[in-house]
Amino acid sequence: MTISARRQQPVQHPAWSASFAATAEEHLDDVYAYLVYFTRDRTLAEDLAADTFEKALRQWGRFDARRASARTWLCQIARTTALDWFRAEDRRRRREERSAPAERVEEAFADGLSPDLEAALASLSAAEREIVALRILLELDGEETARVLGISPTNVSTRLSRALEKMTAKLEGKVSADV
Amino acid sequence: MSESLIRELRAAKPAARPELRERVQALATAEPARRPFLDRFEWRRLVLVAAPATVVVALVAAGVIGLTRDDLSGGGQQAASGVTTTALTEQARKADDSSAATIAPSAPEDSAATIPFSNAPPGGSVAPDPGRVQRYQAELQLRVENLNELSRATQRAQRIAASLGGNVSSLSYDAPRGGIGSANILLRIPVERVQTAMTQLSQLGTILGQRFGIEDLQPAVDDLSIQVEQSQRRIARLRKQLENTKLADEERAVLQSRLASERQRLTELRSGLKATRAEGRYATIALTLTTEKIEAVVPGGDSKLEGIKDVLVWEGIVALYALVVAGPIVLLGVLIWLALRLRRRREETRLLAQT
Repeated sequence: MTISARRQQPVQHPAWSASFAATAEEHLDDVYAYLVYFTRDRTLAEDLAADTFEKALRQWGRFDARRASARTWLCQIARTTALDWFRAEDRRRRREERSAPAERVEEAFADGLSPDLEAALASLSAAEREIVALRILLELDGEETARVLGISPTNVSTRLSRALEKMTAKLEGKVSADV
Repeated sequence: MSESLIRELRAAKPAARPELRERVQALATAEPARRPFLDRFEWRRLVLVAAPATVVVALVAAGVIGLTRDDLSGGGQQAASGVTTTALTEQARKADDSSAATIAPSAPEDSAATIPFSNAPPGGSVAPDPGRVQRYQAELQLRVENLNELSRATQRAQRIAASLGGNVSSLSYDAPRGGIGSANILLRIPVERVQTAMTQLSQLGTILGQRFGIEDLQPAVDDLSIQVEQSQRRIARLRKQLENTKLADEERAVLQSRLASERQRLTELRSGLKATRAEGRYATIALTLTTEKIEAVVPGGDSKLEGIKDVLVWEGIVALYALVVAGPIVLLGVLIWLALRLRRRREETRLLAQT
């Protein structure tokens, strides 16, 4: 049974649980898209998204809608989950690189993106990709993005413009090379 | 970056696969029990509640303790009067010690029940028990308008003492030209007239403070009386022994020596008994007159407020002490936390730049 199917046949949960199911349903795509951009790995993004909602369910009792929207709160959890994974991966990679260098799997961000845009996105670092995801893809405002990243809104603007400049430069370079 | 590219990015937004939806849905339906209240309670909220609650408890405690403890209000009264009551007490004590020195040394110290000094309402005092021998001490602090009034009040105090059959035990008068004058007078007044004396003396100026104390000398008197009787019986026995004509000369000499020392002891005991009884006949009033502008203390509401203020001051001292002790530890904790946070943030930046 899919989440959309549940909409027709609501399960009898307490208000808080039903509310969590609805929240998960509403923001799953956003969380997943954010994680895909952040990790550049769809399979990993799926696992991390599942972990994110598992953590969110545990912390649901502490969620305060007055302090942040559910989407911002979920993105914060998703980011923490991804960062934990990055740290663990970094440790693992350091251990393994002593014997044999690890191979990085390059994946497409999404279906339907032009190869140039795909390449431009791939040229960004994880920090730049996540800001593009939050501000452009998820359309979070500066305040919300700042809350997710734990930085100031001014810093968000600066980082975003740098990321976009980098993408634009990559795209323009590609275009001029083709010409 | 062009709008078309942004539109392209948004149009190609990755969507979760049905498998992931089912995984998340399964999580949401695996409904865990709602966590207990204490688990859900956040420390930040706890601080928000605890901080004002502590202040309220401190204020309520100060109110309750300040209103129920008499000694605190007394302390406040002493402090507010600004007059060195301790000095006055010392003055009164010295006068008493000089007269008490004549009391027989055998009188047990703990036999005298002492009633501690207590505050009395202005113009009022507690009468000594006429059926018992008691040492009555009172302290009266009055303010007079100016140096002329100070002089007049000092003279009147002496006249009051004389008119009531008492006397001035000591007097010190200090009135520097243009300065603040004061007079300390130690009066000895017959106990049966001490209330009259207090009433008349309190009319010499504005009452700043008033204290009294009664020490029960009756146990000492009773003890001395018993010793006198015992001494008299011993003397009678020695006399009877000396009447015996068959006594050897050496034995007689020893008995006569004992008789002489016992007579000496009896004289001292009688003298002590007389002095103790005399002590009980006169009350000591330490009168302080001053021209200094000090707020008069009204017992009741104000002294209660003083008591509350005292408790609040003590609470403040305790809080300050706790802050001084715990402050560096808390500061160190905060610094460690900030350092760890900074390290984590740098590590995070490095990690995200690499990925």
